[in-house]
Amino acid sequence: MKSCPQCTEPVGEGDRFCEACGRELSWGAAEPSRELAGASASDAQWVSSTGSAPSCSGCGGTDFGPEGYCDTCGQRRASGPDHTELDLGELAGVSDRGRRHHRNEDALALGRLPGTAMAVVCDGVSSSSRPDAASHAAVDAAMASLVEALRGGAQPAAAIGGATRAAQAAVALVAGPNPGGNPPSCTFVCAVSAVDAIVVGWVGDSRAYWLPAPAAQAEPQCLPAPAVRAEPHCLTIDDSLAGQLAAAGVEMPAVARGAASALVRWLGADATDTAPRLCTLTAPGPGRLLLCTDGLSRYATSPADLAELARPATTPLPAAEALVRHALDCGGADNVTAVLINFPPLEESR
Amino acid sequence: MSDGPTFQAEVYQNQYLPADATVVDAVITISASGGPATGAGGTAQSAAQVIMVDCSGSMASPSTKISEAKRATAAAIDTLRDGVAFAVIAGRADADMVYPPQAQLVPASPQTRAEAKAAVNRLIASGGTAIGRWLTLANVLFAGNPAQFKHAILLTDGRNQHETPAQLAEVLRACEGRFICDSRGVGADWSGSELRTVASALLGTADGLPDPAGLVDDFRSMTEAAMGKSLAEVSLRLWTPAGSTTRFVKQVFPHMEDLTARRTDVSPRIGEYPLGAWGSESRDYHVQVEVPAGAVGEERLAARASLVGGDQVLSQSLILAVWTDDTALSTKINPRVAHYTGQAELAQAIQEGLAAREAGDVETATSKLGRAVALAEASGHEDTAKLLARVVDVVDARTGTVRLKAKVAGVDAELANVRSVKTIRVKNG
Repeated sequence: MKSCPQCTEPVGEGDRFCEACGRELSWGAAEPSRELAGASASDAQWVSSTGSAPSCSGCGGTDFGPEGYCDTCGQRRASGPDHTELDLGELAGVSDRGRRHHRNEDALALGRLPGTAMAVVCDGVSSSSRPDAASHAAVDAAMASLVEALRGGAQPAAAIGGATRAAQAAVALVAGPNPGGNPPSCTFVCAVSAVDAIVVGWVGDSRAYWLPAPAAQAEPQCLPAPAVRAEPHCLTIDDSLAGQLAAAGVEMPAVARGAASALVRWLGADATDTAPRLCTLTAPGPGRLLLCTDGLSRYATSPADLAELARPATTPLPAAEALVRHALDCGGADNVTAVLINFPPLEESR
Repeated sequence: MSDGPTFQAEVYQNQYLPADATVVDAVITISASGGPATGAGGTAQSAAQVIMVDCSGSMASPSTKISEAKRATAAAIDTLRDGVAFAVIAGRADADMVYPPQAQLVPASPQTRAEAKAAVNRLIASGGTAIGRWLTLANVLFAGNPAQFKHAILLTDGRNQHETPAQLAEVLRACEGRFICDSRGVGADWSGSELRTVASALLGTADGLPDPAGLVDDFRSMTEAAMGKSLAEVSLRLWTPAGSTTRFVKQVFPHMEDLTARRTDVSPRIGEYPLGAWGSESRDYHVQVEVPAGAVGEERLAARASLVGGDQVLSQSLILAVWTDDTALSTKINPRVAHYTGQAELAQAIQEGLAAREAGDVETATSKLGRAVALAEASGHEDTAKLLARVVDVVDARTGTVRLKAKVAGVDAELANVRSVKTIRVKNG
């Protein structure tokens, strides 16, 4: 039997909406099979990590009750698998549970339209309830919204604004009618990469990095100032005290860094400020955009490190794999997700 | 489809546990409402009832006991629906058929009711008391009848003199699950703990009526309640995860009944506890499960409790465990869980206090009954507080400072005992 990717209630084969939480079930290719929709049937394709985990993260059992709890040990079924690899060619993403956490609370969605690549990465706030359900609901809602808006001719920044609102609404819905004091929450970072610019929007501390191709670094840019910085750099500013201070050039003493890294903005039923901060990268040279969760960025001393790790791979998927492997090799203290998007995007999708 | 009642289950628990905690408590309130007394297929649930009337010699002193018992039995007979199979037994040192004369049940009709009441009217009080013999005869009568719901009323005015407790226990084991029995003590010489034993084994109620005048209404309402039962055999089915232990399953409202030992294993992780018959009513259960410790952030199903009648699942509730490092969440105790934990302690304090009192252990009795007074006061259990005040002089109810009364009417101690298991619900819950 199929189950709702958001609340894990069982749903019928032909159902368009979940009876329990009301989630629309016919969105894109958010099926466990993760097959892309045929190119002939649609010019938009998207995939996400959402899909009930095939086995229990507690005991490895594969039988689950109708409410989504393991029949053997009672563990709640995760909203996504422990490890996900998604590959749309010019953009790809890898997500992994890490070495310490018992389930993967990160989620990602990738999509493309002719001449445009899109990605959403969310990190469930592990101190909230059902963080994995929050992050998966967010990426699916955001991607569905992005595809629809961009197809309708919306500007990337406006599409990202709409996608963030859709994600916030979906996460709030996961909380159900009684959100309690600790409703499901997640971070959010989203990118639209078109032929002439990349637009990134975010809420929280999941990041976007611009990793220019080595050739672009070697050759001076032909563009007039203000040109895009030619070295790898972070495009986002963490929504935390530490993030704001670092952006203002204030050096934090190490002892204060832990408390100062606490999120000040997130998506969730209890969130008050959920408008995305935006960053636009106009006509950068060729390179790659990296979206990642703090499970990766915590193990990078500088953006150049990340560029270095990703460089040997010629295509996005092995590059994302290399980055995730790096985080795991460093200890894998958190869930880790990396999405890489080649820039400029291909004119035609195949 | 049956038109039977609809069931609703609600769980009251604090699902948040601190890291390393393993014990999950929950109170489940199950309510049945609406629906006539019909079984599957819309036909009336077939029922049978046996009334056991104590006719020992003591029932004649005062003579109101036997005369009120006769009137009460007649009222119960009048309350039976047409077609309900019934019989009346006279309880002495042995058990005698009163009506019908042969050892069998007959369907209620205007004629059989009139004949039965005439036979009851001729009863004479003489002989002893052997409750086990009475129950054995009732068991034989029920065994020959196919009714879905079998109900008995047992009335006694004295202690079970002509049998050992072991003999009674053996009979109760033989009768368990065969029929439901409500037990009543009339007058001043019955034993509260004996009645509780019978009620507990046979999933019925127990009470005492010092004044025989109350018997008529009581018999009528017991029979009405029995006729209102729409599901004969209901059980609580409990799924618990691998590696867990079900510490206890208790009915905590309307009276305290520990069901833990009555588990029948359905599968390694599923057990069933018999709950008897169910009408339009509401009951509370307290379940305590010990599960393997979880990591912070983990959410597990600690138990799934279903009410099952026949092969139909009538209601289902989930008991969760969510581990958190937020102490503001994990240190809260659910008010209902706390309340019923207190009610269980109250029942135990009364029973132990009365036992100590009977054994002449003044110190233990004073301390236990003092604790009971304090618990009754704290939970607002006024009926119990009043009963306790007949056994002890209350100096300060809040702190439970009491003195044992020098002279206590025997029946007051027995009443406090038999009613010790009666509970109340949380106020403005």
